[in-house]
Amino acid sequence: MRDLATRRWWRRGSTSRREDAAAQAQPALLERARGRLLVTGVIFLLCFGALVVRTLDVAVIGAPVDISTAGDASAFDPAARADIVDRHGVLLASNLPTHALYVEPGKIFDREEAVAALGRLFPDLDPERTASLIASGKKSALLRHDLTPEQAHSINRLGIPGLWLERQEQRVYPQGRLFAHAVGFTDVDNRGLAGVEKAADAELRRRAEAHSGPLALSLDIRVQHALAQALQDTMTAHRALGAAGMVMDVETGELLALVSLPSFDPKAPDRSPAETLFNRATLGTYELGSTFKPFTVAAALDLGIAGIEDSYDATEPIRVSRYLIRDHHPENRWLTVPEILIHSSNIGAARMAVEVGAERQRTFLDALGMFERMPLETSERGRPLAPRRWSEHTTMTVSYGHGLAVTPLHLLANYAALVNGGIAVTPTLLKREPGEQMVQRRVISAETSAVMRMLLYAVVAEGTGKNAAVPGYLVGGKTGTAEKAIGGRYKRDSMITNFVGVFPIDRPRYAVLTMMDEPKGTKETYGFATAGWTAAPVAGAVIERIAPLLGVPAIVEPDETEEEPAFARWDGAGRHASY
Amino acid sequence: MMRHLVLISIAAFVVAMLALFLVKHEVRGLEHELAALEHERQSHVEAIRVLRSEWSYLTRPSRLAALAERHLPLEPVAPAQVRWLPQRPSGASAFVTPIGGEREL
Repeated sequence: MRDLATRRWWRRGSTSRREDAAAQAQPALLERARGRLLVTGVIFLLCFGALVVRTLDVAVIGAPVDISTAGDASAFDPAARADIVDRHGVLLASNLPTHALYVEPGKIFDREEAVAALGRLFPDLDPERTASLIASGKKSALLRHDLTPEQAHSINRLGIPGLWLERQEQRVYPQGRLFAHAVGFTDVDNRGLAGVEKAADAELRRRAEAHSGPLALSLDIRVQHALAQALQDTMTAHRALGAAGMVMDVETGELLALVSLPSFDPKAPDRSPAETLFNRATLGTYELGSTFKPFTVAAALDLGIAGIEDSYDATEPIRVSRYLIRDHHPENRWLTVPEILIHSSNIGAARMAVEVGAERQRTFLDALGMFERMPLETSERGRPLAPRRWSEHTTMTVSYGHGLAVTPLHLLANYAALVNGGIAVTPTLLKREPGEQMVQRRVISAETSAVMRMLLYAVVAEGTGKNAAVPGYLVGGKTGTAEKAIGGRYKRDSMITNFVGVFPIDRPRYAVLTMMDEPKGTKETYGFATAGWTAAPVAGAVIERIAPLLGVPAIVEPDETEEEPAFARWDGAGRHASY
Repeated sequence: MMRHLVLISIAAFVVAMLALFLVKHEVRGLEHELAALEHERQSHVEAIRVLRSEWSYLTRPSRLAALAERHLPLEPVAPAQVRWLPQRPSGASAFVTPIGGEREL
């Protein structure tokens, strides 16, 4: 043991004395071996050190952080198409997950059982068709799409091999027919086919991809409902073929409502009659009649050709080439400019237009955009029909809205310009942000616009638009009744009646257009079907409903103001000193 | 000296292996949990979409109008029923926002 303790036994081992001697004889050789060992060791150490560093680098420092699991909930939304909401966020169109049911005939063991089971789940599925589909040699076939979650669940519970579900997305319109024409619809592959869905197709996809939230329209569901209901009631009462209506913000051009009746189910447009898909408000072009007269008057006033005091001879009809221009309610006397509008005199308007002249009339209408498609975020935009040759006769008839067919949207947008101080508006279905800069293009002077507001007020106060009056609100507007041109002839009993109302007319905020297609007279309207009886009352009813909703203050009758609210006393400026 | 190194290395190896195994096991468990949560979140997102559509469907103005007519003794607001304060008291304007005016949902 002493030997072991004093010698380095593990190094020398049980070497013999002779070998020991040999080793001692070659110390140089041993030194060299030790040197090599050291170098090798250092190299290995460096290598392992590098490995350790790299391992730490990969595992601890450079560990990839999965960013996709952080962020807000909308970032997870898998929908391929953004939602559409109204101006207050009410959902109008959305994508819902659904399943499509496919069948792989080769994998089905018991065909009869499969057919029977599918028949129980889908009673409307034709068993023979299913059977032939399963019997066919196809690799796989689509049996049905848009399955509800319950249906998908039941299919899974059947456990039949050869039936499989594929995830799909389905566009839904919770508001149904109410927004059918404005919002439009998509095909089964979620591509927009009509309305905003088509016009903003790329935008809706982009928003879904960027997760930038739903597309907000300018429409207001409350206004839309009020307008649709009022139009539907009147349409039914007067047995009209159709109706259309819009409500527009006269400053921004935002449409708060856009209705075309009869409507259709946007979920199944192919199952609705083709004519219901037609958008009367923005695609249909009509000779709109007397609602054009304010443009004639505005042109004459703005050019300084006529003054508000001037009179025109409406004593007898005008004969021009082979046509006769008459008044429906002949006054047979000279009429002042306001009277021409109040009594809706064709003769007066025609005489005024002749003074304006064909060229200036065309220039004025062109500035209003009456010869071009009106811009709007929808695929259904009608191009106005204007006569190729602008004769004196054309000048006269266009002055009271015949011979030039435009869409109701053209009419409404230009009424907004007439009353808002003379600035042209660009109609839009998209919500504008407050303070958004808009191009200001003046079409008439502010003074002319102020006169037009007074004239339109007079029409409702004592003219053909009386039925649009609403207690508590100052409404201005103009009626228009035109015979429909069918096959090149005007039909006396087929009429387009329309009315454009503006409220409150002293400081206009909204314009309402209502239109009836071929209304018939009723006992309540004493057999009349003209605009004053069919279109104006609808506008009145709509204004009465929506004005409080839109925050337009009603005018309080003087006798009701006596009892002022107690708040008035709080006024620090002491303006209510009489209290 | 060399012997100590060898022993320490072996011990470190065993400890590292054990730690690696435990961490890997834990990671696998967390991954499962993550997948489950992801799946759950996905179904919640879809459920929210469905519910939002259903809410919009059930609050259709025509349906609400019919229900209100049947169950409530109320009528649409007439213009005469709405009053605006003639002058806003200065410094107390917060509560006189017109009903039905601009609001955010």
